[in-house]
Amino acid sequence: MKELLDLAQLLEQGQSQKVLTLTQQLVDSGLSPQTILNEGLIAGMAVVGEKMRNGEMYLPEVLQSAGAMKASLAILKPHLAREGTASRGKILIGTVKGDMHDIGKNLVTIMLQGAGFEVIDIGLNVEPQRFVTAITEHTPAVLGLSAMLTTTMLNMKTTIEAIASAGLRSQVKIIIGGAPVSQKFADEIGADGYSRDAVLAVNKVRQLMGHTSY
Amino acid sequence: MNRRFEQALNCEAPDRIPFLPAIYEHKAWFVGETPSKVCQDSQLFTTALLAEYERVHPDALTIGIDVYNVEAEAIGCKVIYYEGNDTSVPAIAPEGVVFRGSKEVASLKMPDPRKDGRMPLNLEVAGNIMKVLGKEVPIRAALSGPLSLAAHLAGLENLFMLMFTQPDLARELLGFACEVIKRYGQAFIELGCGVVLFDSQASPDLLSPLLYREFVLPRTRALIEHFHQQGVRNVPLIIGGNTTKMLDEYLETGANNVLCDKKADVKEFLHKCSAARRAFRRNMDSTDFATISSEDVYRRTVDCLKESNGYPGFILGTIILPYGTPLSALAAIRSALQEYKHS
Repeated sequence: MKELLDLAQLLEQGQSQKVLTLTQQLVDSGLSPQTILNEGLIAGMAVVGEKMRNGEMYLPEVLQSAGAMKASLAILKPHLAREGTASRGKILIGTVKGDMHDIGKNLVTIMLQGAGFEVIDIGLNVEPQRFVTAITEHTPAVLGLSAMLTTTMLNMKTTIEAIASAGLRSQVKIIIGGAPVSQKFADEIGADGYSRDAVLAVNKVRQLMGHTSY
Repeated sequence: MNRRFEQALNCEAPDRIPFLPAIYEHKAWFVGETPSKVCQDSQLFTTALLAEYERVHPDALTIGIDVYNVEAEAIGCKVIYYEGNDTSVPAIAPEGVVFRGSKEVASLKMPDPRKDGRMPLNLEVAGNIMKVLGKEVPIRAALSGPLSLAAHLAGLENLFMLMFTQPDLARELLGFACEVIKRYGQAFIELGCGVVLFDSQASPDLLSPLLYREFVLPRTRALIEHFHQQGVRNVPLIIGGNTTKMLDEYLETGANNVLCDKKADVKEFLHKCSAARRAFRRNMDSTDFATISSEDVYRRTVDCLKESNGYPGFILGTIILPYGTPLSALAAIRSALQEYKHS
């Protein structure tokens, strides 16, 4: 459908106002909100993620697209709820102790929400014990840990150790992300997964939860 | 005076490759205190720097613990300090930004380096260190770069959005940041110190080289030129992450010492830096120094030194050393440096 391709392209270009207008038009036309989400917004963000990985797009441009997606999701959300779309699962996310950076975490949150997950964001500078408490309280299927600094990434390990000490490690899959981390680091600290960007994070979460990746 | 570092900056082969480990929060470990405590106490800070010099023997010393916070705090941003034994690095509170884009840049407070925030404390420390070590080793004061300071004032996401929605305002904010940095830098220069600019928010991991060229490069170039005019010949510019994609812009800033972080392409740095006759610091990975053996550190150092390919402007560095990094790891690096001969 041409309008969905247009929506994906406008999203990729970060044209918030046009994305909002077209989303509303598509909703008004009676198109399923799930179709708008999957074939318009998520398809657009998948291109954004690919371009970011290839060095064709950088964070400021990605933030523009994500902002447009967030605004568009706000239009779709009540319609998705009315359609009875069930949550695909609960994800807990936070930036580890000592780290005040939240851009990456926020991008991942937007993408996960867009993909139908319920995301509980417990913020920045999160003590290991607070992650433990939040896991007990919310029983998420996946925990996302974010860090931006080479010094704070070491607190991902401390957090995983605290979760293990509390006897909760087998209850939750753990995925990590952030500029200084890698798959090698994820393996070393005992995380279940690593993602280099927000789009791939959704795929990784789906994979960890046994869903089919798109 | 240890001239090894300066010789490398001039691309004149020193007796051995200079070593500049990235010691900031780890300074506090040398006096058995937390970074939060040491960065707020001039005596502890001075003692920590002297201990760092005595125990690590770097080829230059840098005055700075929580490098990116000082200017922003003096302007009015809130810094979170940690209590008790918490060794986390103080950081600007996200809710503590002072510029939300709704007010004039002119309404921001221009700090007085001798009065505001911890600027006077850092200047006092610089004066203390200059008295003791100023004739022995190059002493440089850490200054925020313009993008990193502007990002602290406005929030990084907000600053990036301003570049698209209100580019003139983003430029104005960067201009204000430069003026703050100039004044703070000038106060160190008057003490006889050198300066080093840190602008890691400008890394291509965050910002495109295109936006860097458009918004940041002209201001950084002017800032470095200003310091040159003040008699500071050597102005290193530290941008972490994979800066290979922005190496042309990086060199156009006029900085005579750039950073080739562990993720960056060392061959590209060798090629372009030798053509431009600039020094670069190659960072080795040091995140796991607490868990690997001294032999492994030694081997890793030698591997990194081999990357120099005999280039006289090559400086060995580390990524930021975590608090508590064992001295044995640094001793292993020094041994490798002393024994290494490029063949």
